[in-house]
Amino acid sequence: MSARPVPTTNALTGSLAQIGGCGLFLLTLLAAIPRSFRYVRETLRQLWFVGAMSLTIIMVCGLFVGMVLMLQLYHVLSIFGGTSASGMVVALSVYRELGPVVTALLFAGRAGTSITAEIGLMRATDQIDAMEMMAVDPIAYVGTPRFLAGLIAMPLLCCVFCAMSVLGGHLVGVTWLGIDNGTFWSNMTAVVDLRTDIVNGVLLKSLAFGAVVTLIAVYQGFTTPPTSEGVAYATTRTVVASSIAILALDFVLTAFLM
Amino acid sequence: MTDPVRNPPDDSTLVRVRGLTTVLNGKTIFDKLDLDIPRGKVTAIMGPSGTGKTTLLKHITGQMTPDAGQILVDGKDVPRLSREALYKLREGIGYLFQNSALLTDFSVFENVAFPLRQHTKLPEVLIRNVVLLKLQAVGLRGAAQLMPNELSGGMARRVALARAIVFDPMLILYDEPFVGLDPVALNQVLKLIRTLNETLGITSVLVAHEIEAVKRIADHVFLIANGKVVAQGDPKTIANDGSAWTKQFFGGQEDGPVPFQYPAGDYAQALGFSGAAK
Repeated sequence: MSARPVPTTNALTGSLAQIGGCGLFLLTLLAAIPRSFRYVRETLRQLWFVGAMSLTIIMVCGLFVGMVLMLQLYHVLSIFGGTSASGMVVALSVYRELGPVVTALLFAGRAGTSITAEIGLMRATDQIDAMEMMAVDPIAYVGTPRFLAGLIAMPLLCCVFCAMSVLGGHLVGVTWLGIDNGTFWSNMTAVVDLRTDIVNGVLLKSLAFGAVVTLIAVYQGFTTPPTSEGVAYATTRTVVASSIAILALDFVLTAFLM
Repeated sequence: MTDPVRNPPDDSTLVRVRGLTTVLNGKTIFDKLDLDIPRGKVTAIMGPSGTGKTTLLKHITGQMTPDAGQILVDGKDVPRLSREALYKLREGIGYLFQNSALLTDFSVFENVAFPLRQHTKLPEVLIRNVVLLKLQAVGLRGAAQLMPNELSGGMARRVALARAIVFDPMLILYDEPFVGLDPVALNQVLKLIRTLNETLGITSVLVAHEIEAVKRIADHVFLIANGKVVAQGDPKTIANDGSAWTKQFFGGQEDGPVPFQYPAGDYAQALGFSGAAK
């Protein structure tokens, strides 16, 4: 069964109905996971599309975020004579907050929008209905593989983003601004904690963000009115809703995990 | 008065609709509609635009659930089937969408092979042979490697037809199969529908507006208007039965039982002349 648009009356009830509809759709997606096991190839194809194809933007953005962060921190910390701590602060900022959040925002813009547009166009051109008529469950064949692919890809992309950010910080801090290489790495390894920073910060957060972004993207695709205008609005809604959800969820997760 | 439904139906009726009632957005689409679609024949569903012809096809395939009534397909009550049973039934039904609905990421070959890959574990060589057989039947074996965006409208519809018959279904539903086709493509599709009906014994139901095409191909016609069957019979006699509905529909008259104006409020009042009317 495909999800259907939620009828709305005004902005507030409309938003609440969207959240409720999204929650119910999550249950539908999860229930379809056993049926989607037979579509492993489709899941791998989507993993390639949302994961591997997002690598370039994630790597480039990660590099520049690390470089800018190091530049800013170096100038602020130099006032207090604490430039040797720059690498450590870059790493903590990236692992705990910037890595998962920026990766998720980029992921929503790169993969989320294309998931919504693709499913929306499939609806507009009756491809989803055609699958239903061929006795192929579109949730299991189209929805769940994309959801699982997003769930797997986000933590991996976040790790790549963090690695590139640290590399960017190293390039600016050590190569350009002259921070000692040994100090840069030793301060970082002394402070970064595997459970708090890597597992909770990088992996858990990015897993949650990946689930939220792909859920919103798939839901918007399945519920968009089957028109060109409807697909355009749905794509925009994916970015807006994902961005808000990522930042709100980040606050909640940080509060619980700290 | 709605007849009681026999279940299972007799052999001559494949689809039996009884007391079908559907209300969409406050508008009554079907009002206790009854009709029987004979097995092994080509049946045309005709009627004015917006009368619910495509909705009827969606009810038959279980894509939409009616507000009331029974729809029996091969003895199975479609609205009350479980998801698994409905999917099982659909494996025996082909559906040709108005816009073909080919999967745009797949080639012509893969589109036709899609249902086989999803529902069977046939070896690749057998899948290839079945697909080529179906494509040959619609005259497009040579287009097997083309992508859907490289096809003309007529070709896309023939590929969709090959996909719809890949499981040799008992019933095939055509939603506006002639729309947008040039005379050559239209004749090709007409011939295909007739040939498939005769050679494979498929029951065909088509929704169409093209009166001449329907006269050439259909064994039985249902004219639907105002939520009910207003006329039925073979295409030649129904066109001349003399009722106001058939006169307007088959005569192409712009006004009659099907009003030219969509229901609206008082015209003078809408123009702001309500005071002058008094």
